[in-house]
Amino acid sequence: MRQGPAAEPRHSDKNTILGFTLQSDQAPFPPFHGAAFPFCILSSVFCILSLLLERLLIANRGEIAIRIISACRELGVESVAVYSEADAGAAHVNAADRAVFLGPAPAAQSYLSIPNILRAVKESGADSVHPGYGFLSENSAFAAACEAAGVVFVGPPSDVIASMGSKIEARRVMQAAGVPVVPGETPDDQSDAGIVRTVERVGLPVLIKASAGGGGKGMRRVTRRDELQEAVSSARREATAAFDDGTLYVERWFERPRHLEVQVLADAHGRIVHLFERECSIQRRHQKVIEESPSIALTPQLRDQLTQAAVTAARSVRYRNAGTIEFLLDTHGGNEDARFYFLEMNTRLQVEHPVTELVTGVDLVRAQILVASGDPIPWTADSLIQRGHAIEARVYAEDPSRGFLPQAGRIWLYREPPGPGIRIDSGVQEGSEVPVHYDPLLAKVIAIGESRDVAAVRLMDALRRFPILGVRTNIPFLLRVLSHPRFEAGQIDTGFLDAEDAVLTASGPESLPDVVRAAFAAHAPEEGPTRQKSPMAVDSRDPWKRLKGWRA
Amino acid sequence: METPERVAGVRLRPTVTPIAAGTYRVEHDGRVAIVYVAGPPEDRWAFWDGHVYHDDPPGDGRVDSGPRASAEPLLTAPMPATVVKVLVAAGSPVRRGDALVVLEAMKMELAVRAPRDGVVTAVHCREGDLVQPERVLIEIA
Repeated sequence: MRQGPAAEPRHSDKNTILGFTLQSDQAPFPPFHGAAFPFCILSSVFCILSLLLERLLIANRGEIAIRIISACRELGVESVAVYSEADAGAAHVNAADRAVFLGPAPAAQSYLSIPNILRAVKESGADSVHPGYGFLSENSAFAAACEAAGVVFVGPPSDVIASMGSKIEARRVMQAAGVPVVPGETPDDQSDAGIVRTVERVGLPVLIKASAGGGGKGMRRVTRRDELQEAVSSARREATAAFDDGTLYVERWFERPRHLEVQVLADAHGRIVHLFERECSIQRRHQKVIEESPSIALTPQLRDQLTQAAVTAARSVRYRNAGTIEFLLDTHGGNEDARFYFLEMNTRLQVEHPVTELVTGVDLVRAQILVASGDPIPWTADSLIQRGHAIEARVYAEDPSRGFLPQAGRIWLYREPPGPGIRIDSGVQEGSEVPVHYDPLLAKVIAIGESRDVAAVRLMDALRRFPILGVRTNIPFLLRVLSHPRFEAGQIDTGFLDAEDAVLTASGPESLPDVVRAAFAAHAPEEGPTRQKSPMAVDSRDPWKRLKGWRA
Repeated sequence: METPERVAGVRLRPTVTPIAAGTYRVEHDGRVAIVYVAGPPEDRWAFWDGHVYHDDPPGDGRVDSGPRASAEPLLTAPMPATVVKVLVAAGSPVRRGDALVVLEAMKMELAVRAPRDGVVTAVHCREGDLVQPERVLIEIA
């Protein structure tokens, strides 16, 4: 727990910054700018008002709220946590300088409620909002509401969120900017012959789908020419039946692609830098599980092309703050011949940002707050390098042997494993309740080493020494992924987890090892830690009681 | 708690030394293991080497062998979720572990599975339904 609010140092920081600001208003070429703020001179066209945000409300929960609160503390920015009924005793509420109650446990009435968040902003006197990831982070209406309320939204402008939130619009913008997109088009000539011609242009294999589509209706994969005719007719039939519109869209289909993404950061002065790539091919139903940087699938030339495409993409939408451009990488022709295609842009901080922070050595959340304050990016593109290899594993409260069923309950024991090159971003602590209402991410374990092998070994070692007792976690699953020969060899793609599902999700050991039996026997009931009830216990809806209903 | 017992030089029982709250140093066959144990007597958990062991009542040290309230005939939603798929209809015979309903919440899909063999007697949800916690989805007899 912190010893009181950071009122004193924050105040003096503020004065210093304000001091510069006032001086620069009076004298356009102040000598005292030179050393401390070289950027101020470079961008002298802009009046640099380096007014650091004063009080930042974090419209989120869990590990990301705690991560942002840490950055606030380091910068001397006061932090405001928000919480739902289910989170009154949550770790993020204890970490912040202030905390404001939002509403009932369901996210729609708390973390997803724009009116409730805005009320909390007003109530706390916050001058800014960090949305984290998930929840309202990519909700353009929320960003617009903040703008309208005169509150700084730590993220891009609302219109950028809106345009990147539309798949069609994002694709159009990227295509116009010359960023490669997945080849595909809606043929003008919708006759069978017209569609066949389009397929020939796009190149097999293709996905033929309803233009009006969604939900996989009217979707056909065609890998051979002789399947084409039948696929076109049946897709058209299904599209007409489902949407009353038989217009078809033809898109290139990729077998076992890899998922790569590029981190970018842009400031209000037109500077954009990229912070290299992350590979997130280990995903389950579009939910990333393990992420790393760098990607071993990239040659230096391809990395240059990919990162430049990302910067072009960000520039073309006048991006601001931290963002990620996701690409599909087709390595079918081998790594030398790999091609990448724009998938989407995420207009927020990503869960997996720590791997980038570890290999580049910069603090992205700190940079986000500075950039949102109107500061220039705190580093130059030339100063950024990738050093070593970082891998992140997401520890979820879920049971892989039972269809990844989310788990809820009290965490009786929680000990983070120390070790060289290990970072843990956690949203829980001993005694925490894991509520049923939200994403079951407990913590992220991130390892860095001089090579991918070293990072993987460190990560596995940390996971083996990370006791979380009271809810089942996916740690055994993560260990199986990390020790899988295909992962070790780097032969991964977005289909990896599905293909290896049976091996990765098998139940744990059937019998109790002797050493565990002995420890159980030695553990007297009164020795159990965290006996006292957490504040959450006042809520009569004991998650365990609820659990029994659906575990049954 | 130091109770080493040797017969002809072979250690039969592990030696357990508590080293911190819920933390035990267990020496067995000449090797040292650090084992963590926590939770109230009726909900006891242990951790060793990346594996979690859940001590089922009545506490005979078995590994958690499956769902606990297995006599519970109602299958309910664990969290506010959208019904993505209903895989059974009234009258469907089901086997333990069969997926009955697929829910989606917070970008996660999760399956509600049959707790035991039986026959579906009622289905109380449809695809696309928004369901609240404790809403009964399926009944099995």
